[in-house]
Amino acid sequence: MTQQRTSLAVGAALPTVTKTITQEKINAYALAGGDGNPLHIDPAFAANTQFGGTIAHGMLVLAYVSEMLTAAFGEDWPASGRLKVRFRAPTRPGDTLTSSGTVTSVDGGKTRCTIECRNEGGEVLVSGEAEVSR
Amino acid sequence: MTTLAALEKGHELPPASFDLSEEWVDAYIASVEDEAIGVLDGGFVPPMAVAALAIRALLDQASLPPATLHAGQELAFTAPVRPGEALTVAARIASRGERAGWILMGVELGVARDGAAVMTGRATLSFPVAEGEAA
Repeated sequence: MTQQRTSLAVGAALPTVTKTITQEKINAYALAGGDGNPLHIDPAFAANTQFGGTIAHGMLVLAYVSEMLTAAFGEDWPASGRLKVRFRAPTRPGDTLTSSGTVTSVDGGKTRCTIECRNEGGEVLVSGEAEVSR
Repeated sequence: MTTLAALEKGHELPPASFDLSEEWVDAYIASVEDEAIGVLDGGFVPPMAVAALAIRALLDQASLPPATLHAGQELAFTAPVRPGEALTVAARIASRGERAGWILMGVELGVARDGAAVMTGRATLSFPVAEGEAA
């Protein structure tokens, strides 16, 4: 963690996190998160929505982004992290997601980054900014 | 149970208490496959676990309409949390509007430990107007 703290200058890339989404993982998150929205877990219901199938919880995708920020910033992340994102496109079972980020400024004790999450086709699913006090 | 679709701007959900049990934290970490948790030397839980369980406590009070979409999320963490700690979450409907047949709702939430904030956040949700009318 100390080594990471000294190496994150402007322009530095955060360590990427890659995960493959499956319906089983979505179901497991639905149980843990208590969010049984049928859009996530009921293929028959989801087939009749604009998405044509189930999609992952936004908070599941953000867990992957947060894992990246934890790896980059250690305990500074849960102690002082700020995150602001928009969900740009749905994450579907079978998608392989890669979370990435780049440090954009280090100023006044705050490190700011752009962050995004893309699928294997390069489509941006989540984009936004993160900030950590250090 | 009330659904979020029935709630107007300014509505405050009553504070709800919840415990970050070690069993639940383990289930959460397994479900999100968090491989960075070992970086947190102090035995802290992933910060998103706090958010997830806070939202779970809220959903016990007001359910999501079935076709709800998560459009955006803001989170601010102010203190790390360990397994076993007792927390309280409060929430209010900060905004509610309508556009192109969809209701856009902003829900602010705050999570505290012994009265001191550990996390604040704002979720932007959307669901079909019909869901709001049905509620």
